Amino acid sequence: MNYISSKNFIQVLNVLKKEYQLYLPNKKNNQRFYKKYSEFSDDITIGEVRAFEPLKAFFFGARAKVSEDFKSEIPISKEKPFAIIGVKACDLKGFKVLDFVFKGEDVIDPFYAKARENNLIISADCTCAIETCFCLALDVKPYPQENFDINLSQVKGGFIVETGSQKGREIVEKNSSLFEDAKTEFINERDEQRVRVIKEVEKNIQEKEIPRQERFKGIIEKNYESNIWKEEAETCVECGACNSICPTCHCFLLFDQKDNQHLARFRLWDSCMIKDFAKVAGGVNPRNKLWMRLRNRFEKKFDFFPKLANIYACTGCGRCVSACPAKIDIRKVLKRLSGNGK
Amino acid sequence: MGNNKNPYRSIESEVLDVITESPTITTVKLKPKELLSFETGQFIEMSVPGVGEAPFTPSSRPSVKDMMDVTVMKVGKVTEKVHTLKKGDIVGLRGPYGKGYPLDSFKGKEILVLGGGVGLAPLRSLMYALFDRISDFKKIYFRYGARTPKDIIYKNEVKEWSQRGDLDFRITVDAGDETWKGHVGLVTTILDGMAINVSTGIAVVCGPPIMMKFSTFKLLDLGFKIENIYLSMEKNMSCGFGKCGHCRLGTYYTCKDGPVFTYDKIKNFPNIWD
Repeated sequence: MNYISSKNFIQVLNVLKKEYQLYLPNKKNNQRFYKKYSEFSDDITIGEVRAFEPLKAFFFGARAKVSEDFKSEIPISKEKPFAIIGVKACDLKGFKVLDFVFKGEDVIDPFYAKARENNLIISADCTCAIETCFCLALDVKPYPQENFDINLSQVKGGFIVETGSQKGREIVEKNSSLFEDAKTEFINERDEQRVRVIKEVEKNIQEKEIPRQERFKGIIEKNYESNIWKEEAETCVECGACNSICPTCHCFLLFDQKDNQHLARFRLWDSCMIKDFAKVAGGVNPRNKLWMRLRNRFEKKFDFFPKLANIYACTGCGRCVSACPAKIDIRKVLKRLSGNGK
Repeated sequence: MGNNKNPYRSIESEVLDVITESPTITTVKLKPKELLSFETGQFIEMSVPGVGEAPFTPSSRPSVKDMMDVTVMKVGKVTEKVHTLKKGDIVGLRGPYGKGYPLDSFKGKEILVLGGGVGLAPLRSLMYALFDRISDFKKIYFRYGARTPKDIIYKNEVKEWSQRGDLDFRITVDAGDETWKGHVGLVTTILDGMAINVSTGIAVVCGPPIMMKFSTFKLLDLGFKIENIYLSMEKNMSCGFGKCGHCRLGTYYTCKDGPVFTYDKIKNFPNIWD
């Protein structure tokens, strides 16, 4: 296992800058936002918890041109690929859902596939938990175990470095003079930190009585006609923030630019909470009530994906809890659905 | 990996002809500039440049590979624009998507083709496909209902089919007019008395949701097997290949797992007729 000092880490960033557009979490008002890297500053926060924005934005952009005129070529961006640094384990779980959607089955989304191939992920252990964290309920540990190129565990004066892909190994090899063998005391420090953060997340789960995913089986079918949906949807303002902010939500809209001289088709993030999401051209809307759409959102995450891909499409990141202006809390809904709440 | 393929791209297609079927229904005859053929029952995404895209099931003979007809009812912004298209105009086509009717598994069987309103569009393509290999099937029954005589689409074809000796043919309208001499009543009222063997017969249904719902119940009453009832489900398919999430039906996406489903596949999903 390797170690890199903070000073040398900045050197690695400067090397990577030549090939990638680097994005690092910057702390502002108690939140962490990905910001394009130019030089190192004190606001850069590799550890702590997940950033405000979901990682999917770098792989499946909120607005992407996917076709132009009738040209058979794929519109190619001439920009450098992204290197996203400080990614947390909850966001990495999102790849399991997004890969299933965009890379699985017979049709591959060429834009997503290319981003997955070219982008670089340097993830990091969480060094604390915040009130909305509940990853452990979804069987996600607060430190990355897969789907990264390089993982960093913040310890005294630097980071423990683990590689998770050939691309990651090559970066370490090419810059080997900047890395050193990790001392046992640092490895111990990392392990203690991991245990401490797990305890913090456990505390959230205990206090809020959040059910673990073992109890999710059948909760949608069992509660399909329940009043829970109507009650929980009562305050919803249909803003779609829960969808936009979710690392696993993948639904999109194809939008043709309103210009018949310059044809362009865009793929835009869509939201299943918005009224017209499932409406057909003739006007029939299978989910014309808000509570039906809330139920649909949970059905997709906790019934559809487990049945098709053997995965719950929630990572326990808690972003939707923070983002919802109506204070609809996925943890509370899950608690009610699994029969452990009123 | 399909590296060079862009699934979001439409193929430029020329409007060869525009045929008015009824006051609200028009058929456009299209010639894609690259090969785009389909199996009966599959759908395509058609776009009007600068307006948008919508899913349609071609209504023409699938064995004609270089052209296709798309029959469109005026219901929304894209379809309204389709109704203004003229010969020589350009549209975009993507597809084909989904699974068509499994004609090979219909071999040797009696087939009931049951349509309502503009739902005859995909069924016209099915009828052509059946006629192309009619000796493969034991007998074909055709039943069709429209709201009024004016709403009957493909009047020429329908008249032609009524005169075929190899087709058991009946149509109805919900409300007649002074010219109408045929049966009056919902389409479910012309399903009694068929000589079809319901324990092995195939029923293919396409029409508005309410018609499909009551037709399915009627067919079950008559004794058709749930796995022999083929339904065309209407959802708002957008991407066409199971990624955009709009057309989910239980654990399926209508675009890639349908749009044709046998009733047994979907009957346990809640609210399938909504």
